[in-house]
Amino acid sequence: MSIDAQGCGTRTVTWEEKNMRSLVMSAVSAAAALSATALHAEPLKIGIIESLSGAQTSTGRLYANAVKYGVDRINEAGGFNGEPVVVTEYDNAGGSPEAADKFRQAVADGVDIIFQGASSAIAGQLTEDVRKHNIRNPGKEVIFINLGGEAMELTGDKCQFYHFRYTTTAPMRVNALVSAMKESGDLGDKVYSINQNYSWGQDMQAAVEAAAADGGYTVVDEVLHDVNKIQDFAPFVARIRSAGPDTVFTGNWSNDLLLLMKAAGDAGLDVTFATAFLDQPGNIANAGKTALGHYIANNYDNAATDGEFAESYKAATGHYPIFVEGHTAFAVGALQQALETVDFGGGDIDTTKIALALEDTTYESPIGPISVRKEDHQTIRPVVVSKVVERPKYPADGTNMGFETVKVIAGDQAINPVQDSCKMERPAE
Amino acid sequence: MEFAIISTLNGVTYGLLLFMVSAGLTLIFGMMGVLNFAHASFYMLGAYVAYAVSSVFGFWVGIIVAPIFVGVTGMAVERFLLPRVHAHGHAHELLLTFGLALIIEELIKLFFGDFPVNYQMPAEMRFSAFQIFGADYPFYRLFIGGVAIVMFTALWLLLTRTRTGIIVRAAERLPAMAEALGHNIPMVFMFVFGTGAALAGLAGAVAGAFYPTNPNMGLELGVIVFVVVVVGGLGSLKGSLLASLLIGLFSSFAVGLDWSLATLFSLVGLGDWARSLGGLMTLELSSVSATIPFALMLIVLLVRPAGLMGERN
Amino acid sequence: MHKLLLPIALLVLLIVIPPFIGIAWQNALVNVLIASLFALAFNLLIGQAGLLSFGHAAYFGLGAFAALHLMIAIEDGFPFPTPLVPLAGGAVGLLIGLIAGYFATMRSGVYFALVTLAIAELFHSLAPRLEDLFGGEAGVSSMRMPWSGIIFGSTLEVYYLTLTWVVLCGLILWSYTRTPFGRLTLALRDNEQRVRFLGYNAHSSKLIVFAISAMFTGVAGALLAISNETANYSLFASDVSAQVVLQTFVGGSAIFFGPVIGAAAFTFFSFLLSDVTRSWVFYQGLIFVLVMLYAPAGIGGVLQHHIRHRRQLDWSRLAGPYLVAILGGVLVVACVVFLTETVSILFGEHYAMARQAVAGGLPPYKLFGIEWRPISPLTWLVPLILLVCGLALMVRARRRIDGLWGKMGESKQATADVAALGGAT
Repeated sequence: MSIDAQGCGTRTVTWEEKNMRSLVMSAVSAAAALSATALHAEPLKIGIIESLSGAQTSTGRLYANAVKYGVDRINEAGGFNGEPVVVTEYDNAGGSPEAADKFRQAVADGVDIIFQGASSAIAGQLTEDVRKHNIRNPGKEVIFINLGGEAMELTGDKCQFYHFRYTTTAPMRVNALVSAMKESGDLGDKVYSINQNYSWGQDMQAAVEAAAADGGYTVVDEVLHDVNKIQDFAPFVARIRSAGPDTVFTGNWSNDLLLLMKAAGDAGLDVTFATAFLDQPGNIANAGKTALGHYIANNYDNAATDGEFAESYKAATGHYPIFVEGHTAFAVGALQQALETVDFGGGDIDTTKIALALEDTTYESPIGPISVRKEDHQTIRPVVVSKVVERPKYPADGTNMGFETVKVIAGDQAINPVQDSCKMERPAE
Repeated sequence: MEFAIISTLNGVTYGLLLFMVSAGLTLIFGMMGVLNFAHASFYMLGAYVAYAVSSVFGFWVGIIVAPIFVGVTGMAVERFLLPRVHAHGHAHELLLTFGLALIIEELIKLFFGDFPVNYQMPAEMRFSAFQIFGADYPFYRLFIGGVAIVMFTALWLLLTRTRTGIIVRAAERLPAMAEALGHNIPMVFMFVFGTGAALAGLAGAVAGAFYPTNPNMGLELGVIVFVVVVVGGLGSLKGSLLASLLIGLFSSFAVGLDWSLATLFSLVGLGDWARSLGGLMTLELSSVSATIPFALMLIVLLVRPAGLMGERN
Repeated sequence: MHKLLLPIALLVLLIVIPPFIGIAWQNALVNVLIASLFALAFNLLIGQAGLLSFGHAAYFGLGAFAALHLMIAIEDGFPFPTPLVPLAGGAVGLLIGLIAGYFATMRSGVYFALVTLAIAELFHSLAPRLEDLFGGEAGVSSMRMPWSGIIFGSTLEVYYLTLTWVVLCGLILWSYTRTPFGRLTLALRDNEQRVRFLGYNAHSSKLIVFAISAMFTGVAGALLAISNETANYSLFASDVSAQVVLQTFVGGSAIFFGPVIGAAAFTFFSFLLSDVTRSWVFYQGLIFVLVMLYAPAGIGGVLQHHIRHRRQLDWSRLAGPYLVAILGGVLVVACVVFLTETVSILFGEHYAMARQAVAGGLPPYKLFGIEWRPISPLTWLVPLILLVCGLALMVRARRRIDGLWGKMGESKQATADVAALGGAT
């Protein structure tokens, strides 16, 4: 009956302007330093096509913030090609058709690299758009850096040279959870899988099934449910209870995770949740004490590092990196490192060269090295498994609870094998 | 057995909540022939008003203020807006309420943001009423159900046992005659509309503390409420109650049933053939539980538009 | 002959200008054209037959998916000219429209609206589960294949393809309303019983109108698929159905080209404003309700009313009051926009952060490039003055206009229309 909000903006105008100003300031100083060499160089243009209105705004906003943080670092270091890097935000309102529309807008604006994170469906849309654009416009290719689309098909059926996935996949998260929880003795031998009925949830379910032999558990029951539509999870909790599992694996996010945990808490269900998105802002505060003792496998956790990155992020943005902000900043960091190895002498930017450089980049993140696997452009990256505890080093949501690192699984052990369905066409060299 | 009993309990409480919202909608339709698209927005408005008020004055003040606020809003809509478009017919009344729904939703987003707000029940109500098969049963669920039952009884007594009820029913059946007898019919209409809206507001205030209070809650519930009033019979209070319980129980049980059309075919030995077709055949009931209510609504509209309990006309 | 002058001039502009306006605007024009065709097809039902559908997204989405499956077949070597792909959307729209319409048209009024709503919701909730047909939540995507030298790679090529189809379909729809059968459907809207007494089968007549409407909606969906080269189940969502209702009624459903005005206005506004203000959807709802209240015939209706009476209108005397009314309207709009944007800033999370920084005080905020203080009376005086002046001007102008129209022996309807036009646009 309604129309999703399409606008981004005014609410963020004041803040946006402040941000823009700091961006411009750093741009000005960088440009001043370099103006002697190149006066009319072509700037590198980055487009963030994110859910900046609609139901997933909170997540989209975090991705955009972290990308901007990373780009500020590039510009502080002198920008690229003799110019500061330019960032533009495009609001996809959480929908694929709007994302397609904004992609065309970005191309019209001359964007070289697009970033996107919230929703696999939109990532699927954008990677196809990028593929088609690149076929039709040789020499003007666009790179797509995928920050959060974890569906397997993005590095499977839909894999392509100009798509880079700077996040984990379902098997990576599940395998890490299984290995860490087995070691700490919290896994048990009966596992339940409850997931959302779309590619991500289906991937999670498949990964839980696949890890059964290694984890030494049986999957007692599994269920796929509608995505973010269910008001009342009590029936699902009743179903979980009757299966009697020790651990419940779920890839649920947003409302679906929150309500599931709340309903489990209300019914006094005694299981351990193994999750992928428990650190989404608001989850811990809303779930309260119910959240204690549950696990999450993630790209990054402040508690797993020496804290240097967390402090510098806080100094720049006013808060410690939360949820997706950490690994998003690393993706831009990897890009920065790749950019340092190419030089267009202030002339035309060749994105294919940047993509090739990105393939060869190994970025030393605070939790370990992140590199690109050339066969499918999935990143080989460490996975952090954490647990909700009271009085952690970095409390979440203003509560006295937060995450404590249980284990960091190194990239080469965490990675899932290349899918047979990936047939990547490389550019002629 | 365990699953069946718990699911029945859950289904009944959810059904009673649906009834709280649909009662007002069906009352208004039965009376004035207006299908109020903004009704679910009244439900959402109730939750947000209760949230805003309760964060300052406490939970119970919020529960009382919310239905009054929403009821007055409803009366204002009936008094000042609907008459303007009445001359252009029911389609325009429906479109107007549809536009109002849009405005209410966007206003709420303007004031409260896109995210769920932290509207919680008071701590003293957060306990388990009893244990069943080792599972706690939250007291608040019983509270929601209780409010709905009290409301239904009160409404029923009001309509059938009081003088006001007689006038309202007279105004519904023969407005011209009732007016000729000296009753203030526009006043009655405004009162009915306001009551309907207030009921939705009360439902929102009560349920918002248990289910998430977010700007999508009206949209999510809105379509289901239409299903309820259509299946029950537009304008029939008893029908709404029956349909609410039906839908509530169904959505509670559907979760546990891995039936598909292929299962049905395998009863006659065609299971493998049906499974080989894929598509619709192998969809499990649990994964399409959101679809079934619409199919039910469609069937009722086509086969028996008066619904389960509605009068044929 | 001069009646055709305006449409032809418009068409010439639509052909000549696009190559010079850049991809972003070309893209916006494509969206306007598609929305226009969608609204025209939708309006066939409500404007001609008096049937209010709340589920036209179903046929729009089906048209898009049909076109995509055909495009995939072309990619795989099926010899079919790319420019004719919308035929697939039309065919599927017609087919499903016949089936769905058969059931839907058994009912009328509110019940008809509910049936169409249920059908669209059925598609919306089932589509993500039917991977083969609708490609799960990722949807189906394909690529426009070159045909006889045209590559269909650039937005401009897509624009001309869309323009051709929309103009063609618009003409067919327009001429349909001129046929005897088209006249009959008008009679269906006004008095169904009489149609039946005249010996026509009301149900099958309504079914035909429904199917034609669904067919052209399918064509519009197919054009969207060609432009986006992709579609997912969100095309079946209720907000797609709602959007076309808004556009049609704001434009005016009783006039043939009214919906085009609404579609063009809303699409352009959202293109221009969606990145500027997040309150855009709120304004949209406000415009819709104001039009419903004060100008039920829509923008098109108001324009037509003036065109019809253009010979009687004494513009030398009317122009003044009209300008005053418009000025009043602008002031009221400014007040509403100011208040809305202020609320959206003051209740926003970034302002909450700013408040934390000053320990709970009310720091000033920026709007329209000026700094405002929430506690200063000036901040609230500005919108108040705007509102009072605007309303005063509109009431004054309305009285004058009322008088002038009244002298012409006209109903007061037009003045109400005009007053609303000032407040709504």
